[in-house]
Amino acid sequence: MDILVSSLAAGILIGMVLALMALGLTIIFGVMDIVNFAHGEFLMIGMYAGLLTAQATGMDPLLTLPFAAAVGFLLGIICYFGFVKFLLRGPMVAQLLGTFGLMLFLRNVALLVFGSEDRGLHHGILVGKSFDVGMGVIIPATKLAAAVLSVLAFCVVWMLMKRSKIGKALTATALDGQGARYMGIATERMNALAWGVGGGSVTVAGALLVNFWSVNPFVGLLFTMIAFAIVALGGFGSVPGAFFAGLVVGIITEIPGIWDFFTYTFNIEWMANVPMTSLKYMWVYLAYFVIMVVRPRGLFGWKH
Amino acid sequence: MEALRNALDFSDFPRIDLIVAGVVATFLVAFPLTPHSSFAMATMIQFLMFSLYGMGWNTIGGYGGQVDLGKAQYLGIGAFTTAVMLIRWDIPFWVSMPIGVALAVAWSFIIGYPLFRLTGHYFAIATIATSLVLKDIFEVWDFVGAARGLEISPIKYSPPDFLRLIFKEDIYYYYIILGFFFLGILYVNWFRKSRLGFQLRAIKDNEAVAQSLGINVHWAKIKTYAIATAFVSLVGSFHACYIKNIEPEDTMSLDLSILIALMAMLGGAGSLWGPIIGAGVLIPLKSYLKEWLGAKAGLVGMDLILYSLIIMVVSAAEPRGIWGIVEKIRRRKQA
Repeated sequence: MDILVSSLAAGILIGMVLALMALGLTIIFGVMDIVNFAHGEFLMIGMYAGLLTAQATGMDPLLTLPFAAAVGFLLGIICYFGFVKFLLRGPMVAQLLGTFGLMLFLRNVALLVFGSEDRGLHHGILVGKSFDVGMGVIIPATKLAAAVLSVLAFCVVWMLMKRSKIGKALTATALDGQGARYMGIATERMNALAWGVGGGSVTVAGALLVNFWSVNPFVGLLFTMIAFAIVALGGFGSVPGAFFAGLVVGIITEIPGIWDFFTYTFNIEWMANVPMTSLKYMWVYLAYFVIMVVRPRGLFGWKH
Repeated sequence: MEALRNALDFSDFPRIDLIVAGVVATFLVAFPLTPHSSFAMATMIQFLMFSLYGMGWNTIGGYGGQVDLGKAQYLGIGAFTTAVMLIRWDIPFWVSMPIGVALAVAWSFIIGYPLFRLTGHYFAIATIATSLVLKDIFEVWDFVGAARGLEISPIKYSPPDFLRLIFKEDIYYYYIILGFFFLGILYVNWFRKSRLGFQLRAIKDNEAVAQSLGINVHWAKIKTYAIATAFVSLVGSFHACYIKNIEPEDTMSLDLSILIALMAMLGGAGSLWGPIIGAGVLIPLKSYLKEWLGAKAGLVGMDLILYSLIIMVVSAAEPRGIWGIVEKIRRRKQA
């Protein structure tokens, strides 16, 4: 029983961070109908930003978030004006391959600058501490803090989208770009803002993730695919959808633990022989495929 | 007979195209007879293989406009079928290759049926997802060697072995893949003038109109997807015999799927020559960049940075590729 509960708890906690990560992708997709393959690379850069500032200044890693957000915001804006703007005129295949080129570029620049070895954080006030919740479930403090801060950041972005004037302009652009332009909204600037906010939220997620996940230049692709799965499940362009779907996908990544629970509880022999930990992320890809085929709009989607 | 005549009929191309194609074809046939390094030979074989992948991709992605980013899974099916059959049961290439193609096509029907309910971005990402699922399964499946992959050891056979495609010299591989290359061109030349080819271009232009004209859009897409799959799987089988050491990581990775689509796009998707031009530019560029820059210390990934910059510039500046530029110039001359 304790394996099941702790797997679920771990899944939900990681799911909150993943939801924040996918938020950036869903905003960018919602506003301008472009799929960003470089999303995972943005996360990787956020992870390095958090890691390196924490190591250079000796600050607690959780205090590096504003810096990571600034890096992501700038990166998003630069990518938009320097590159993505020119992709929008072309056909869809050019957009897909163009952002794939951006992904390769960021990944290999990171490889050149940071080297290929795994790096992790080992200091900070929360490292090594954990809460015993009972029933044999132990929650590491870093994961809990990352999850809580993710939810907080998620709420901030959502409130900005819902309440502030500029957020409303962004939503209007997402709903109907041409109509928004007629109402005097500078949609070009909104597109750039979407990339800025998207980049900022994903780098914050990266800086939170690096507290318990080591980073190397190749982590990006996995998270890109996870973000696609979350956005597909929640519905392309839907913000609340991204949150719930993040939790679901978080639990999907913990399937090996749940599998172990069933294996040992019911003592099923063939289940023990399946190399489940190696297939950990296959379930995410499979979930994406099944969701798209069964319900292309996702849970909360309004675009298709 | 009709089909054969169509396949051999290139008369709708301008004369200059045919002259250039004739010169290139002569060069390709004569290339092994000229003095060359073994590196150049390997690059040429890669070029021919990737031209064939690109031609396959071009049927569904270029003529049909369905952006497929999961072609590497079929490459893996072809390569692993041939390798497993050769190693375990000593079945020669010419038998295992059609079996691999049949398996790949069967798999393409299974996933193609639900896949083609999707369009646009959704379709593209779903093809990636299926490809990654298959790769993950292959990486834990002991029967196909799991993540270590399989190795065909040439010592067991007496080269040159034309049945199993085990050779010591690359020149044999070169002429075999060159034969497939010319057959591939003839096939695509037939395809673009076939009923299915016209249906597909109608679907690309406007799906609703195509449907209202009585075209079974879903079925036409699935059929073309199977054709593209057959191309990729066939060359995948060849890849197994040529490379001899195959792993899921380098036969089924996403990078490979993207490279296939990229070549067709760079050359010009939806034209007969496009994928060949794309492969002709990109493959030598990629392997020579790697040779010159990748091996130098302190410049790890420099070749891939340049490569990614090329992708970015092409997709932003001229998404219709090199062939798009050629056609633009032609149109300006006519006007």
